[in-house]
Amino acid sequence: MVVGPSGAGKTTLLRAISGLETLDSGRIDLGGRRIDRLPAHKRRCAVVFQEPRLLNHLDLLDNVGISLLARGVPRKDRRSRAAELIDQVGLGELAGRGVKGLSGGEQQRVALARALCAEPDLLLLDEPLSAVDPNRRASLMELILELQSDRQVTTVSVTHDRAEAAEMGQHIALLIDGKVLQSAEPAVLFERPETERAARFFGMNVISGKVGGGHLRLEGCEFPVSGPDGEAVFSIRPESVLLRSGAGPEMTVVESVYLGSHVRLRLRAGQTEIESHVRPGEAPASGEKVRVCLPESGLWRIPEP
Amino acid sequence: MRGRDGTRSTLTTVVALVFALPFTVLVLQAFADSWTAPALLPQEFGLRGFRDGFAGGGAGAALVRSLQVALTVTVLSLVIAWPAARVIGERRLRHPGPVILLLAVPVLVSPFAIGTGLTGWFVRLGLTDSIEGLVLGHLVFSLPYAVLVLSTGFGPGLRHSEEMAASMGLGPFRRLLMVTFPEIRPTLAVAALLSFLVSWSQYGSSLAISGGSPTLPVVLLPFVGGDPEVAAALSLVFLAPAMVALAMANRAGHFR
Amino acid sequence: MLAPAVGTTLLLFGGALAGAVEQSFTPPLGGGLETWTLESWRQVLGDPVFVDAFWFSLRTTLVATLVSAGLALLIATLMRTRSAAMRTAVAFPVPVPHLIVAVVAVLWLAPGGLADRVLGTLPLNLVRDQLGLGVVLVYVFKETPFLVLLLLAVMGRRLEEQEEMAAVHGIGRWGRLRWVIWPAVRAPLLIGSMIVAAFVFSAFEVPLAVGPNYPPSLGTYALEVTKSDAIGGAGQAAAALLLGAVASIAFALAILGLFKARREPDER
Repeated sequence: MVVGPSGAGKTTLLRAISGLETLDSGRIDLGGRRIDRLPAHKRRCAVVFQEPRLLNHLDLLDNVGISLLARGVPRKDRRSRAAELIDQVGLGELAGRGVKGLSGGEQQRVALARALCAEPDLLLLDEPLSAVDPNRRASLMELILELQSDRQVTTVSVTHDRAEAAEMGQHIALLIDGKVLQSAEPAVLFERPETERAARFFGMNVISGKVGGGHLRLEGCEFPVSGPDGEAVFSIRPESVLLRSGAGPEMTVVESVYLGSHVRLRLRAGQTEIESHVRPGEAPASGEKVRVCLPESGLWRIPEP
Repeated sequence: MRGRDGTRSTLTTVVALVFALPFTVLVLQAFADSWTAPALLPQEFGLRGFRDGFAGGGAGAALVRSLQVALTVTVLSLVIAWPAARVIGERRLRHPGPVILLLAVPVLVSPFAIGTGLTGWFVRLGLTDSIEGLVLGHLVFSLPYAVLVLSTGFGPGLRHSEEMAASMGLGPFRRLLMVTFPEIRPTLAVAALLSFLVSWSQYGSSLAISGGSPTLPVVLLPFVGGDPEVAAALSLVFLAPAMVALAMANRAGHFR
Repeated sequence: MLAPAVGTTLLLFGGALAGAVEQSFTPPLGGGLETWTLESWRQVLGDPVFVDAFWFSLRTTLVATLVSAGLALLIATLMRTRSAAMRTAVAFPVPVPHLIVAVVAVLWLAPGGLADRVLGTLPLNLVRDQLGLGVVLVYVFKETPFLVLLLLAVMGRRLEEQEEMAAVHGIGRWGRLRWVIWPAVRAPLLIGSMIVAAFVFSAFEVPLAVGPNYPPSLGTYALEVTKSDAIGGAGQAAAALLLGAVASIAFALAILGLFKARREPDER
């Protein structure tokens, strides 16, 4: 998965890999082959774009089988292979039809079948779920994962949604302003980010403070942490922030939003603002004051740059 | 996908210049008093072309005639085309093909033929050498363009807006003014422009129909090859509306 | 609702055709239906000048149409990603009346014209030449931009995206041309060419201005016959023009039929 905010260059990256953009410098290797000097149609990469980009003058089967057209595969074989794939993406009954009248989700499925029909070395997906209804996204995502694992085709998928990245990706690269900030398994990125920006992108709280004698000082209270003394930046997931009486700074609940699976709280004390997720039953109301605890197990010290 | 942009760019510039630049010679020739071979620029500049061209009032009268006819044709074309354009644009026809074909057929036939055919009737009706005759002779050619262009401006969307306005209590005239016209205005402008140009540029039918009081192009042609300065001068005048059309189309973003 | 437009067209166009038909059958000195004769038709069909004029018009039409279509395709492919200013420049000849283009052509291409002066000399005679090259050139100059605009209308962003899709599915340059670009442009190209062909065949003011004195174009023939033969002229002209009109329409229908027939077996 390649994930990053809009404008980070994710689509450009995909286009560069597939050959739709030329490189100013650098190289691209795929399966031991150097491909950056090759024209797009020789790279054996198939792309599913954000729009389906189907050809109106061909019917569904011919659209799906278009990669076989160039290879000179005879019509019958093309259409039967295409029919198999159309079945696998769940559109079997629509096989003989034209392109008109299909919904966005259906068209994307056709595009997916088309890409798979090409049997590429690398499958590239450019935000494939974005053109689809939110309610249909789950089933399309399942389909993609299923097909991908069935055929064992290396897939690079691009998205701006971190939850989608975590769910779909075995490995995530975070791309911001054209640079890969960190590349690791989802758990690592979500819990042990290497940079402040990564921490923020993956939804962690970022707290700067001074460490002295094994403790982080925050709003007059101290939390045990590891590592040397000095200025440091810590991150902690909202789910790890605990609210209970006792020691710990007193913070005011600035905002309390019910989100079904949890309640999102914004807590403030002085200069510090922290986000916390708690179970619905235990959530304080807006305006209340609570004592906040940051357990050592949840605090992650962001490495020096 | 994007290779060799440089050569493409120069090629495109060359092509574009090839189609636009030759017309500048018209300006040079029109304002030349003397321009003989092998000079690349006129030896003398002046207005002889214009003076001689409009001397005797023939060209001037022809200009006025062309203008009168073209304006009338434009108005008539739009009025007649409007209902048909509505029907076609809003897709109310089960089989639009034959209708469109019928309306478009005049485009395929020689204007001189049509003019000749109509002249027979005009003689009987006493319409030869009249503005009415010319208008009719041009109308048959501008109508197809008016209908086809105008129909692109109508559609179910506009109809919905009008129905909404009706349900709000606006009468038909108010609806026309406040809903239909603003929406259709750009398309109407293009259709009007096209109708005007078609009539303005008409040669064949004008030649057949007009006798003693010709239109501008009819007056122009004899000068071609004969008196280049007059031909160029009259051509510039003849060209003016076309340039206006081009400027307006460019502004309206038709070349994006 | 359609009535005014359809009615007007039928009235004027039909009337013109009827008028021409009547003229062609009416004997030279006039007369009613009973006196209708094939005399004018016989005169025209037997006239070698007419035959020459017909072939001249046909030749120039075919050449001008094919050249315009090919050139337009080339130019449209080149111009696809260019700026609006470029497009305006190419579109320049479109609203210009044919006659003006002819005037400009004479200024450039006549012996002693600007082209002569710039190049030293022109290898070919292009104005009032036997082959009608001048006529063809003027029409190519005028109609190619029209076709280019038609083509550019379907060659926008959408087509680019489809081409990219084809490229990343293993389809090279020629394949994309054949399976993505051509299907998109063939309809406007064919219909546009049909219109161009009809225009050129009915060519009138352009051959008058830059065409050869012999052979004349069909339209010019009709004009000359009207002027030279005061008595039988009108009838003959009508006959000649009707033949031209029929040929024009038949040609257009043939292209349309060809187009429809190609569509089925093409999607292979």
